[in-house]
Amino acid sequence: VTGEDEFLDIFREEAAERLDTIDGLLVGLEASDGDPDAVDALFREFHTIKGAAGVVGFDDLHRLAHAAEDLLATARRTGAPLSAVGDALFRAAGELRAALAGEAPRETGVVDELGRLSTAVAAGAPMPFAHTSAAATATANPAPPAPRSVAPAAPVPPAPAPEHAIRVPAGKLDQLLDLVGETVLQRRRLVREFEHDRAPVTHELADQIALADRLFGELQESAVNMRTVPVRSVTGPFPRAVREIALDEGKQAELDLIGGDTELDRVILERIVDPLVHLLRNAVHHGIEPPAEREAAGKPPLGLIELRAEQRGALVEITVADDGRGVPEHVLAESGQGVTLADILARAGFSTAGAVTDVAGRGVGLDAVKRQVESLGGRLEAHSRPGVGTEISLLVPLTLALLEVLLAERGDQVIALPLASVLEVAHAGSSHELGGRRSLELRGEVLPMADLADLLGIDAPALAEEPPALVTAVAAGQAALLCDAVIGKEEAMVRPFGPSLAGLRTYMGATVLGDGRVALIADPGAIVDIPLARATRETSARPSAEEKPGHTVLVVEDSLTVRALQRSILASAGYDVEVAADGVEALDCIRRHRGIALVVADIDMPRMDGIALVEAIRADAGHAALPVVLVTARTGEDDRRRAMRAGADVYLEKAHFDQDALLGAVERLIGR
Amino acid sequence: VNAVHVHVRLGREAYAIPVTHVREVLDIGAITPLPGSGDHVLGLRSLRGHVVPVFDLATLLQTRDRGEPARLCVAERAGSVAGLAVDEVTDVAGLPDEGDPVESPLVERSTLADGRLVGVIDADELFAELDRRGGR
Repeated sequence: VTGEDEFLDIFREEAAERLDTIDGLLVGLEASDGDPDAVDALFREFHTIKGAAGVVGFDDLHRLAHAAEDLLATARRTGAPLSAVGDALFRAAGELRAALAGEAPRETGVVDELGRLSTAVAAGAPMPFAHTSAAATATANPAPPAPRSVAPAAPVPPAPAPEHAIRVPAGKLDQLLDLVGETVLQRRRLVREFEHDRAPVTHELADQIALADRLFGELQESAVNMRTVPVRSVTGPFPRAVREIALDEGKQAELDLIGGDTELDRVILERIVDPLVHLLRNAVHHGIEPPAEREAAGKPPLGLIELRAEQRGALVEITVADDGRGVPEHVLAESGQGVTLADILARAGFSTAGAVTDVAGRGVGLDAVKRQVESLGGRLEAHSRPGVGTEISLLVPLTLALLEVLLAERGDQVIALPLASVLEVAHAGSSHELGGRRSLELRGEVLPMADLADLLGIDAPALAEEPPALVTAVAAGQAALLCDAVIGKEEAMVRPFGPSLAGLRTYMGATVLGDGRVALIADPGAIVDIPLARATRETSARPSAEEKPGHTVLVVEDSLTVRALQRSILASAGYDVEVAADGVEALDCIRRHRGIALVVADIDMPRMDGIALVEAIRADAGHAALPVVLVTARTGEDDRRRAMRAGADVYLEKAHFDQDALLGAVERLIGR
Repeated sequence: VNAVHVHVRLGREAYAIPVTHVREVLDIGAITPLPGSGDHVLGLRSLRGHVVPVFDLATLLQTRDRGEPARLCVAERAGSVAGLAVDEVTDVAGLPDEGDPVESPLVERSTLADGRLVGVIDADELFAELDRRGGR
């Protein structure tokens, strides 16, 4: 079981929130005794805490939550009045809270008490506890400390004195960021209007405007900060993944994390986890040499891989560097002429390793990494020295809330390109044409050239004689994109297309300009080849990595802790991962996302549970054969039978949960 | 029970959309074309700072008779928003629950209202179809 701090933090936060809910429900029960919905809700809360505690290895908490859950189940089955068990449950919640805060374990008394009560309720015996208010119980009826009969399990490490934190649904934050972005843009428009009017601006007024500027800037910054998380929050399983990949290849490698506190927009970070895992895998596979070869070259047998994160202005640079064999001279020599080393390495099928191994032959390639980064409005850079090592960097924007774009006009359309992708604006003066391919000569380098209209399929008249050219880093390398006019730079609120336009991959989305017009934001990462001049005007997007069948695993789990843990275990093993919080979301995802190859689902979830999900999948003609792994906090043989009867392929218990069991099951089912 | 519907005209045909799925009705306004998209996509329209995709309802329903889209029904389902271009919004009124099945998968039933045959649009199916096409 991974004991990484990040998961402990997530677990603490989640458990604390669920305990708040439990307290609320228990107080409510005093007023409305026996409301079955409330009982079910209580049961689910304890059950989820139990499952998550088992997964992160907190045995004390697991036992406590289990005892509380048992008692509730018994009460529900026998129809015993809940007032009879309310106090004991209050006390269980209190003990759970104390254990979470890292206080010395002292729960054994409560566990025994819950057990005795459960037996009494089951036997229909008179209730051993009179109903009193929770506050009175806490002081008047302390649980006697019982001698511990079991060896003490790992106590919860004390939580660092936390800054007071609340959890807010991500949607609400996104909405706030959206509003702040709009407000900032609107203010800028107002100032522009004002300056156009040439009204006499007094010193005082100018000061006021400057002050408002600063306030708006700060407002925007703090709003953006709310959605940023440290890079460290996703790197937990990386060191172990690197060691294991190296071991598989008969190599030795260690990962060093530098700058893990660097913060980044959560939305961006989530989308570069898989690319980062891929870069690490490449570093071990293509970079690090076998120990004997390293020693012969005068290097220590243990290869070193560094993951460095650093903020650079409005961009964050994340670098994976290895001290391995580097890229061979003849490959380095191919770069230049508008083709960077990153372009060469990202060419589909390109490999610097001698043989295709298990590691190289699976998952996304560096081309997909590059495309993903470009789709985020960033770029990929690579440096290498033969014999010394290779560095690959992702440069991604700090936030997606406001994207800096360059606006260009072609036909009647306004097209926006992420500013980070545009290297310069040139004039297409000296252009050449060879076999229908046009190219631009720029300071001795020859770049492929294409009309934006051909690239996107815009219906537009012919270009002027010497049109402006946007030298842009696209998936195909560098290219000069021709347009009618360059309008200028603007900060844009990116409005991604919803599912009804999700097939149009040449666009990152759209944005509303200051004058109310809609501009399309082109996705340089989707431009994979430069069309011939006057070619049939078709878009050149090709299906992205998400559509490759075979490697996407859907994790369905209502517990945040377990979801985060499973996601990172699977991502570290090279799978693409989608997540859903319950069966309804999962079904929707399976039907919408053609690449799902396997489902890992919890059994107990709100709305639609794991059993019903398996049944729904088996009944769906299009997905009846989809493999399903059920992971559950339940332990009964009945439950296992029920799960298998519903059509689950594998049944894993959270109490025995570990990384290898999950990965082993997944591997067997979708056999890489 | 008479469920309320937004009644629209497409050429000479009459259709109705359940009012629960219609957020607002407005003029079609300025539509920015979306190069590379399918025939059923008219483009994008800005709506209070947001961008709404606009679809040609007549193309989706494969109506025989083509009119001139002038109005936009902004439809909504589970967080997804779609602008449906129609020639005219004729009424917002109840429709009888009964009717006859229709061949089109996007039309739930046909029913007579004031002596006219009206196709009642199945909003769930319509959105599912839009997602299936993904704009292509």
